[in-house]
Amino acid sequence: MTITADYETVEDRPVRPVDPDTTRVTEHGHARPAWLMMTPFLALYLLFIIGPSIYMMVMSFFDTSLTRPGLGGFAGFGNFAEALGSSDFWSSMWHTVWFTILTTPPLVVLAFVFALLADRASRGRWFFRLAFFLPYILPSAVVALIWLWLYTPQLGLLSKIVTGLGLTEPNWLGDPSLAMWSLAFTTVWWTLGFNFVLYLAGLQDIPRDLYEAAAMDGAAPWQQIRRITIPMLRRTTSLVIVLQIIASLKLFDQPYLMTSGGPNYATRPALEYVYDMGFTDFRTGYAAAVSTLFFILVLAVSAVWVFLTRRQEQGF
Amino acid sequence: MTGPMSRRTLMKGVFAGLGAASLAACSSPVGAGIAGTPIDPGTVDYWNLFGGGDGVRMQQMEDAYRKANPGTPLQAVTLAWGNPYYTKLTLATVGRKPPNVAVSHLTRMKTLQAADLLEELKPADLARHGMSAEMFNQRAWNAGLVGGKAYAIPIDTHPFVLFYNTKICGQAGLLDAAGNLAPIAGPDAFTEALAKVQKVTGQFGATHGINGDTATPWRLFQTLYSQLGGEVLGDEGTRVVLDDAKATQVLSFLRTLTVEKKLMPGSIDYQGAIALFANGAAGFHLNGEWEISTFQTAKMPFGMTLVPNVYGGTYAVQADSHTLVVPKGGAAASGQLDRSLGFIKSMLDQSMTWAQGGHIPAWLPVAQSDAFKKLTPQSNYAAAADSAVYDPPGWYSGSGSDFENIMGSAIGAVEAGQLAPDAAIAQIRTKLSALASTASPV
Amino acid sequence: MTTLATGTGVRKGTRTEVTQAVVDRRLKVFNGVCVGVLIAFALIWLVPVLWAIDTSLKPNAETTSTTWWIDHPTLDSYRTLLAQGDIWNWYASSFITSLATAAGTVLVGSMAAYALSRMRFRYRWVVFWFILIGIMIPQQALIVPQFREFGALHLLNTYWAVILPQIPAAIAVFIFKQFFDNLPRDLDEAARVDGAGFFRTYWRIVLPLSRPVVAAVAIFTFVWSWNNLLWPLLVLSNPKLMTIPVGLATVQGSYGIRYADTMASAVLGALPLVLIFLFFQRRIVEGIAGTGLKG
Repeated sequence: MTITADYETVEDRPVRPVDPDTTRVTEHGHARPAWLMMTPFLALYLLFIIGPSIYMMVMSFFDTSLTRPGLGGFAGFGNFAEALGSSDFWSSMWHTVWFTILTTPPLVVLAFVFALLADRASRGRWFFRLAFFLPYILPSAVVALIWLWLYTPQLGLLSKIVTGLGLTEPNWLGDPSLAMWSLAFTTVWWTLGFNFVLYLAGLQDIPRDLYEAAAMDGAAPWQQIRRITIPMLRRTTSLVIVLQIIASLKLFDQPYLMTSGGPNYATRPALEYVYDMGFTDFRTGYAAAVSTLFFILVLAVSAVWVFLTRRQEQGF
Repeated sequence: MTGPMSRRTLMKGVFAGLGAASLAACSSPVGAGIAGTPIDPGTVDYWNLFGGGDGVRMQQMEDAYRKANPGTPLQAVTLAWGNPYYTKLTLATVGRKPPNVAVSHLTRMKTLQAADLLEELKPADLARHGMSAEMFNQRAWNAGLVGGKAYAIPIDTHPFVLFYNTKICGQAGLLDAAGNLAPIAGPDAFTEALAKVQKVTGQFGATHGINGDTATPWRLFQTLYSQLGGEVLGDEGTRVVLDDAKATQVLSFLRTLTVEKKLMPGSIDYQGAIALFANGAAGFHLNGEWEISTFQTAKMPFGMTLVPNVYGGTYAVQADSHTLVVPKGGAAASGQLDRSLGFIKSMLDQSMTWAQGGHIPAWLPVAQSDAFKKLTPQSNYAAAADSAVYDPPGWYSGSGSDFENIMGSAIGAVEAGQLAPDAAIAQIRTKLSALASTASPV
Repeated sequence: MTTLATGTGVRKGTRTEVTQAVVDRRLKVFNGVCVGVLIAFALIWLVPVLWAIDTSLKPNAETTSTTWWIDHPTLDSYRTLLAQGDIWNWYASSFITSLATAAGTVLVGSMAAYALSRMRFRYRWVVFWFILIGIMIPQQALIVPQFREFGALHLLNTYWAVILPQIPAAIAVFIFKQFFDNLPRDLDEAARVDGAGFFRTYWRIVLPLSRPVVAAVAIFTFVWSWNNLLWPLLVLSNPKLMTIPVGLATVQGSYGIRYADTMASAVLGALPLVLIFLFFQRRIVEGIAGTGLKG
C-alpha cells in the first residue's frame, strides 16, 4: 500500500517497482557491459590525454632533451624558476593575454550586433550565414595566405584602400606595435561566424510573445533590445565570452604563419614559445614546464565554462 | 524512419572512402601514412631552404641532375628559411622519416651532429664518388669536422663583403688604376674613405641593415672583433670569453661611424640599407655576397671586395658555409647512400652555377679553375674563404640562432645610439651567461 | 522568419489607427536600415575571399596591378598546382585523417555516453568527473609529451599520430550524453525487455534515433580535424604525408612574384570544406545551436 502510494505520481513505470534514476545508484548486470562500452574511449583517453598530461608534469622537473632518449638529469624546480625569471616567457604570456583582450570584445559585440540585425531580416538569412560563417571553416593556413596578400606593402588590397583614402599606409605586420592588431583584425574576420551562429540560435529561443507584449506597451525597438533581448541572452553571452577567451588563449596559428612571432618576437604567443623551446632549441623539459604553466592558465578559465554549463544540467 | 539504413550507408561510405584511398596508392604516401612504409624507394629526397636568386640557381642544378640521372628520380622540397627549416629537419629525423640529403649551414650542422641526427660520411664512401678531404677549401672542410670525422660536405663559403659603387668611389678618388677599390687599411683610413664618399653622395658613406636585422650588425662586429683576435664563446659555448677591451674598441668605432660622424645611418632596416646603396645615397654597402643578384638586376655600377682589414691583424672576416648532410636514417635503404652521395657530387660539379650567385665554391676543382678566376667580381673576394671566421661552437649558436640575436640586438642598439658600448657589453654578458650555464640539451 | 512587426498589428483600442500606421511604417524603416547595414557588412566580409579568387584567375605578372578587373582571365595557376601533384597527396592525407577522426570520435564517444546515460554502475560519477576534466585540458599544451609518446610508439609520420589523439574528445561524450538523456527511455527499455543486450540496443535503437547529433558531432570533428595545424605540423614531416594546412604552411612553392599561384593554392586548400559547408549548411548551423555547444 505504502509502496504504490509512493509511486502514484510516476505514471510511466508500471513494470518496474523502482526507478533506477532516483533510487539506486547501481543495478545488477550493468557494470560489465557499461565498462565494456566505455573501454575504447577510456583507453584512448588515458593513453593520449591523461597519460601525456602526467608525463608532461613529470618531465617539467627534468632536463629532458628532444633528441636524447629518457628524461635526462633531474632539475627540481629549476625549469619553473627559469621560466618565471625569463622575460621571454613573460612577454610570450602577455602576448597571448593581449591578443585575448584585443579579440574577445569585438568578437562578442560584433557577433551579437550582426545576429540582432540578421534576426530582423525576413528573407535571405542563408546569405548572412554564408558571408559570416564561411571564413570560419577556412583552414588557418588559407586565412594566412589570403591576409598576407591583403597586408602586402605597396601591392596589397588594404594598402590600396588606405592610400586611396589619402592616408599613409601602415606597415601592417612589420611594425612591432601594430602587428598584433593586424593579427587580431584577421582573427575577428576569421572566427566571428561561430559566435554569430551561437547568437542567432539564442535569439530564436526567445519567445516572440515577449516582444509582442512589449510592443503593446509601446516599447520602441531599442527598448525591446535593452529590456528583453539582452537579458534573455545573458546565458548565451556568458558562454560565448568564456568559449572565446579559451579559443583566443590557444593562439598559435596566426602568428606562426603570418609573422613567425615577429617582428623581433613582438607577437610570439605562449604556445609558440613552447614550440620554439621544445622543438627548435630541443629543450623538451623546459618546454614541458612552460606548457604546465600554460596548462594551468587554460584549465582555470575552462573550469569557469564547465561551471556555467554544469549549473544548468541536472542528474549530477 | 530511415535511420538504420542511412547509418549503414554512412558507414559504408566511410570505409569505402578509406579503402579506395588506400588501394589507389598502395606503396605510395597513403600506404606510408597508414603502415609507415618507405615512400618512393629508389629516389633521392632532398630538402633545402633556398629562396630568391639562390632558389632559381638551385632549381637549375636540380634539373641538370635529373637530366644526367634519368634512372634516379629526385624529389626536391624547399621549406621556409631559418629556424622553421631546422625544426622540421630535426622532427623528421627524430621521427625516422628524414630526407636523404639536406642543406645545413655549417654553423648549425654542429648542433645537429651533437644531437646525433647526422650520418658520418666515411672517407671510403666519399672516395667511391670522387670526393676526398683535400679537394675542398680547407677552412670550410676543417670547420665541419667533429672529432676528426666528416658529417657535412661544404658546397660554398659565403663571407661578409664590401659592395662599392664604382662611379661614386671613382669621384671620391678611391679607385686604383684598374678601376678597382684601392686597399683601405686601418680605422682612420676606413673612416676617411667613408667621409670622402659622403661628400660625393651628400648623404651617407656606407649602409648596412640594423633595424629588425640582428644578423648584419653581428657579422660586421664579428669581422672587426676577429681582426683584433677576439673571441666570444669558449669551451663549446659553456663559457663567455668576451674580451671587454677589444669589444669596447670595436663598438666605440662603430658608434663613431653612425652616431657621431653620421657616416652610416644608425636606424635603417635590411631592405632600406639595400635601397640607399642602390639609389646612390651611399657609396658602400656591407652585406653577405648573395645580394649580388639584387644589384645586378638593378643594373648599377658596382664592385665587390673584401671587407678592409681595419685593425691590421691577421685578416679575418665573418662567414658561414652551406653544406649538404645526410640525416641519420636517411641512408638506411640499400644503395641509398650511394644515390645520395652521387647527388651531392653532382651539386659540387655544378659549383660554377652556384658561384654565379656570389658564393665562393668550396669545391677546389671549380674554385681553382680558370673559369672561376675569370668570374668577376666573385674572384675579388674569393680569398675571404681562407680567412673565414665561423660563429663560435655552442648549442645555441650558428646562423639565425639565439646567439646571433643576442649579439646583434645589442650591437645594433649601440649603432642606433640607444646603448653605450659598456652597457651593451653588460647586456651581452648577462644574456649569454644564462645560455652558457644552461646544460646543453643535445 | 517572423519579424518584430507581427506583434504590433494585434493591438487595438489604445491608440488611433493613424498612430498605428506611423508605428508600423517606422518599424519597417528601422528593419530596412538594419538589413541594409548588415548587407554592407556581409559584403565586406566576403571581400577577402573574393579578392583571393579574383587574384587566382589572373596571370602572375598582372597580379601587382591591384585592380578587381582581370585583363586576361586564366586557369594557369590552378593547372600548375594540380599538375605539380603535391596538393593531391595533401587532399588524401586530410580526407583520411579527418574522416577517421570523425568516425572514431562519433563511435567511441557515443558508446561511452550511452553507458553514462543509461547504465547504472558503481563509480559512475567518478568516471563522469574524470571525463569532465578532459573538457578543460587544452590539447595544445600537450604537444611536447605527446610528441615523445608517439616517437616511442614509432608512429611519427603516420596518419595514426594525427588521428589517435584527436579521437578521445571529452566534449563529444557530453554532447552525446546530453542528447541521450533527453531521449525517451521507453523505446530502448522495451528493446531491453525483449532481450536485446545493451550494445544491441545502443546500435539498433538509440544511435538511429540520434542522427542529428551524430551528424553534428561528425561534421564538426571533421572540420576541426581538417583545420588542425599545430599537431600535424609536428608529426607529419614528409611533404607527401602532410595535410592541407601543414603543406600550405611548410612547403614553399616557386620563386619570384607568384601571387596568383599562392591564391590558387589557398582556394584549392579551402575548396573541399567550402563544398561540404554549402552542402550541409543547415545541419552545421543547427548543430551549433542544438547540441549543447551553446550550453
